[in-house]
Amino acid sequence: MSLDYVKFTPGFDRWMPKEYRDMVDHGPFGKKTSVSQVGTFKEILEEHPMCAGCAMTLFIRLAMIAFPNPEDTITVGTAGCGRLAISQAAIPFVYGNYGDQNGVASGLTRGLKLRFGDKPKDVVVMAGDGGMADIGFAQTLHSWFRKEKFTTIMLDNEVYGNTGGQESGMTNKGQVLKMAPVGKKFEKMDMLGMAKVSGCAYVATVVPNNPRRVESVIKKAVLVAREVGPTYIQAYTSCNIEYAIPTDKVMEDAKDVENDRYKFSEYLTDDAKQALGELYGYKEYLPKPAKTVTAG
Amino acid sequence: MYLIAYIDTEICAATSCKLCTQYCPEANTILYNNDAGKEKGLKYGSAYVAVDRCKGCAQCVWVCDNMAKHNAIKMEMIDQVGDSALTENITYGEKNTTAKLANPIRG
Repeated sequence: MSLDYVKFTPGFDRWMPKEYRDMVDHGPFGKKTSVSQVGTFKEILEEHPMCAGCAMTLFIRLAMIAFPNPEDTITVGTAGCGRLAISQAAIPFVYGNYGDQNGVASGLTRGLKLRFGDKPKDVVVMAGDGGMADIGFAQTLHSWFRKEKFTTIMLDNEVYGNTGGQESGMTNKGQVLKMAPVGKKFEKMDMLGMAKVSGCAYVATVVPNNPRRVESVIKKAVLVAREVGPTYIQAYTSCNIEYAIPTDKVMEDAKDVENDRYKFSEYLTDDAKQALGELYGYKEYLPKPAKTVTAG
Repeated sequence: MYLIAYIDTEICAATSCKLCTQYCPEANTILYNNDAGKEKGLKYGSAYVAVDRCKGCAQCVWVCDNMAKHNAIKMEMIDQVGDSALTENITYGEKNTTAKLANPIRG
């Protein structure tokens, strides 16, 4: 992929903002960057209007560092807190009208395939639990049933945080919120089960209190989506405003929730394992060599 | 006035865990200078805060105190920290960043 589109027209660089110049000279485009190098290179994500201490922002930041080819990645989002940060990044962002994000991503993925053929072009949908499990539920599931090749990431804060604290399908049973004063009467939706049933090739749950794990999960999901089929990541990204978590205790909450109900899980189909093992050097997914039996 | 994170270079440069750089929800806010400890004869570099981007959530303080157990980060009032790193004075190098310190209020 030519990186010319992120470079300056000769003579114009000194008029550009410092952040832009840093991005061209020291950004992650065309390089391999990882979470362990963070703090020493210019990140794709810029300043954003998300609340102080937001775990969702931390997850988005880590996800953007983890994209295997950021210069060939397009993010798709919808209404909700997440898009406030996702759109403040140096990679293209497409806004799917509320609930349409997986439909928009389907068309985008097919269009990119027609235009660029086998050159890797990654589409990553990042939307909240309301946009994905409630309002965009039909489009999300149908994109999986159609085996559309893109990554879907749910930023699950278990509430409609952006609109004042209504319950969502992903809120836990009994949870009392500002706009759900008697508590939720139904169970949390099993989106992981639905993702597996509808044919996702890679399904994972993750909590952002382990940055290296977030990086590993995002990389695998994007690479499997490139080769095999739809992938789904469900990330617990607490809303410290609606759940009244002090900002300095957000990671403590993430740890407690991970131990309680959001344990790390990873599901791969055999095709996904084969693609990761054979094409991208994940040796752990390659079939183990048969043991040679020595005659005794 | 408002609170921002302040990293004690001497404690940080003795350990080099870099955890706070990974757990900050803001991009390019906690940065790392590999040469920070050299002048003081310390083993490693140190993390530092671009104070104009810090929203004061103190997540890094929890991470430094409870995960790394180094207690190198404290919350300080922005007018009390003295000369600090500002985004416009940060220079990116090959796998390193350096910051020219300036008054956080007057620039």
